[in-house]
Amino acid sequence: MKPNLLDVDNVSKTFAGRGLFSRRMKRAVRNVSFSLDADRPEVFTIIGESGSGKSTLASMILNTARPTGGSIRFEGRDLAHIRSRRDRVAFMSRVQAIFQNPFDAFNPLKPVDRYLYTAAEVFSGCRTKEARETRVDDALHKVGLSLAEVSGRFPHEMSGGQLQRIAIARALVSSPSLIVADEPVSMIDASLRMTVINLFRMLRDDLGVSIIYITHDLATAYYISDRLIIMQTGEVVEAGDARQVLAAPRHPYSIRLREAVLSVDGAWRGTGLDAEAIQPSLR
Amino acid sequence: MTLLHPAAASAAAEDDAAIPLLSVDRLKAYYRLKLFGIDREVRAVDDVTFAIGRNEIYGLAGESSSGKSTLIKTIAGAIRPPLAVETGSVCFNFSDGTRDIYRLTPRELGEIRWKRLSYIMQGSMSVLNPVRRIRHSFTDFALPHVPEKGAAFAERIGRHLERLHLERSVLDAYPHELSGGMRQRVAIALATVCGPEFIIADEPTTALDVIVQKGVLAMLRGIQRELGSSVLFVTHDMAVHANLTDRLGIMYAGRLVEEGRTRDLFRQPLHPYTRHLISSLPQIGDDTPKKGLEGSPPNLAAPLSGCRFHPRCPLAIDICRREAPPMVAVAPGRRVACHVVTASPDAVAPAMEEVRP
Amino acid sequence: MNTLKVLRDLFYYNKEFATGLLLVLIVVAVAASSFFSPYPPLDVYVVPPDLPPSWQHPFGTTSRGQDVFWQLTFAIRNTLLFGIVVAVISRVISLCVGLVSGYRGGWVDRVLMSLNDTFVVIPLFPILVLFYFIMRDQMTWGLLALIVALLGWAYDARLIRSIAMSLRTREFTRQAVFSGMGTGRIVWQEHLPFVLPIVFSTTLNNINWSIGIEVTLSVLGFTDINTPTIGGMIYWANQHTALVSGIWWWVAFPIALVVLLFIGLFLLAISMNEYIDPRSRLSRLGGQA
Repeated sequence: MKPNLLDVDNVSKTFAGRGLFSRRMKRAVRNVSFSLDADRPEVFTIIGESGSGKSTLASMILNTARPTGGSIRFEGRDLAHIRSRRDRVAFMSRVQAIFQNPFDAFNPLKPVDRYLYTAAEVFSGCRTKEARETRVDDALHKVGLSLAEVSGRFPHEMSGGQLQRIAIARALVSSPSLIVADEPVSMIDASLRMTVINLFRMLRDDLGVSIIYITHDLATAYYISDRLIIMQTGEVVEAGDARQVLAAPRHPYSIRLREAVLSVDGAWRGTGLDAEAIQPSLR
Repeated sequence: MTLLHPAAASAAAEDDAAIPLLSVDRLKAYYRLKLFGIDREVRAVDDVTFAIGRNEIYGLAGESSSGKSTLIKTIAGAIRPPLAVETGSVCFNFSDGTRDIYRLTPRELGEIRWKRLSYIMQGSMSVLNPVRRIRHSFTDFALPHVPEKGAAFAERIGRHLERLHLERSVLDAYPHELSGGMRQRVAIALATVCGPEFIIADEPTTALDVIVQKGVLAMLRGIQRELGSSVLFVTHDMAVHANLTDRLGIMYAGRLVEEGRTRDLFRQPLHPYTRHLISSLPQIGDDTPKKGLEGSPPNLAAPLSGCRFHPRCPLAIDICRREAPPMVAVAPGRRVACHVVTASPDAVAPAMEEVRP
Repeated sequence: MNTLKVLRDLFYYNKEFATGLLLVLIVVAVAASSFFSPYPPLDVYVVPPDLPPSWQHPFGTTSRGQDVFWQLTFAIRNTLLFGIVVAVISRVISLCVGLVSGYRGGWVDRVLMSLNDTFVVIPLFPILVLFYFIMRDQMTWGLLALIVALLGWAYDARLIRSIAMSLRTREFTRQAVFSGMGTGRIVWQEHLPFVLPIVFSTTLNNINWSIGIEVTLSVLGFTDINTPTIGGMIYWANQHTALVSGIWWWVAFPIALVVLLFIGLFLLAISMNEYIDPRSRLSRLGGQA
């Protein structure tokens, strides 16, 4: 039987508390489990607010942080066994990352294309300049750009949307089967946001890439996810089909989260700001 | 209610409403950089005219490089080189007289700040001194502007906090001991304690989690209704505008492109850019495919001729490339800057339908 | 934006930079004129001794029968070269240690930083004197430069490390990792450009510092006195009790010249610091104004 694409098995992450006298442990992620099927590419969304542990979970899946409990297996292989640089390169060519802030995700002093060329060289073994250029051009075409538009350009010459598309192309150079995108559109202007979001859909449908989409925004999560989990202070409080969960959340936290989303239609129905008495709690 | 501003009570009844509280007239504010090999002029606010009446929340929407942050800086009189006002005026019609922000001495400006004109910023840490208790921030900002001193002053602050459903104990906390949402609530309390007539809110909830955001917005609206102040609320989040603001102005590339009652604007957006912003907004339960806008955001350092939206506009015609459209009133309280719309408002809707997928 | 334009604007808009540059250029011109000296630097009694400044000998002559001006040209050349060599060697060390330590973190950081701290707390002067007494005649100019460089990198390595640590958390570093770049490429290609302006400014300060060390050691005679340096000149002047016998020009001109160099380099360093900060602010502004 073919192994799952990704198994997150009872994963926990505990940080030692900072401070001279306090030995308090902070449990950022607690016993999270889910799997992605290798034959059915999907957009799997992790929803959570700040402090929910969603980014910690992402970095464990990307093998940039080690779980303190449980295990993560990619295509049946435990990430804990990846030690050498060769193994890491092989892993990164299959599992790629897209970051939050496109304006910070490229070195402002360097042209953006160098990341693409390096990826082509390291992951795809393109030895010659021509081979690298072809590879990079292919990847850029998948996101609706071309090498001619990008070549030699610096980050400040491009918009957030363009940069994020280049980042996606950069991730696609090695033809990965899983992409982890941590808040990929939260810094992008609304008018460009949907172009990037639609790209994820295209990756899933046309290229068969599974996507772990990490966000706090329920509206875009509803728009592209197949399945989702909702995290609160390190724990999964609700999981399931994206539409079902968002249409009728069951866990009290999910319900609160769902109700807090401001919508345009809701504004006219009067379910907006005046509806509730506001009692803040001193945290 | 001693805190209730006298202007608020009278504003509704008397003909004060005829004169808007804030009038911005043909305002141009540019950044001029000429240093270390960089030589450029950034037209961040380019010919903006609008007014805000009493007791209303005016929303300002725009994306990055729309000039909205520069516009509010200019309105607050908080500009520093390289930013400078080229032409135009910013006039406040406070209850004790009219003032042109750029004709005031620094002392006069200091007198109206916090008392008549106050701010709520995205990062409340810039107002709250991180090494002093919240109480001191109140003393620093509010004490010079209110008649009460000593115990009466403390009592006034206490009552103000209670009105905002905040416990008095926050006064003894340090800013870092509070959560982000709580800090933002304190910032709102600080901005409203003197009962200002005008409040500028610059993305005050952008950095907050959704659950917290809703509460903070509700609190802001509550205190605004109570004081009868006017609020200029800036955010790029259209859903927030829909829920909070009374009127809405849309900025693009340093210019106001559309303005109207928030509801009207969402129900029937006229400018192609506004239409796109609203139609591309993803919502839970809405399964229609959404599209991003083609083309790149405007470059304020190299402004285009004609309408600045024309390279991305599905409706662009010849004149759009040559002439900048003026802001035209198409209905009472409704203005739009678009050649196509002003020529025939009815032709717009079907044309946009074709463009939408 | 090119470097020349930056330098031009700095020259026009920044008085400190213009003054500093002028002073350093004067000193460099004096050093360069050593190549046209009519007298070999080590020869003595080539001119009448103890002459006060005159048209023929603008800075006077020494009790050893040397022309002070031409002697000074060699001395300042060697001293300046000494400063530059020390600065270059110590910059290379502090860059390697600071960048790698800041980027890798963990045990690499701990090892390198404990080494770093060792060098910070070593008492500099006794070590140098100790070296002199061990090496004696083998204590050449080059060896001294190497030793001073080895003792002079630690502070700046910490500074560079702190910048590298903040660069490590930036997203473009993660982007580089996921583009398959190894430590070497990330450190030298991604991070190095960010620390270069600061390295440049610390270089100027380091030149000053090492010249100070060299002059102090030479005055006390703890160096190779046969290579003419500023400190060496003052050493010989002291040996001949120049100030007591009224030969003030033998001491005054070397001191004046080295002070000019000090002030010049210092002004350049602070104007560079000023430039480093607003430039980043301005270019950020240009990025997304």
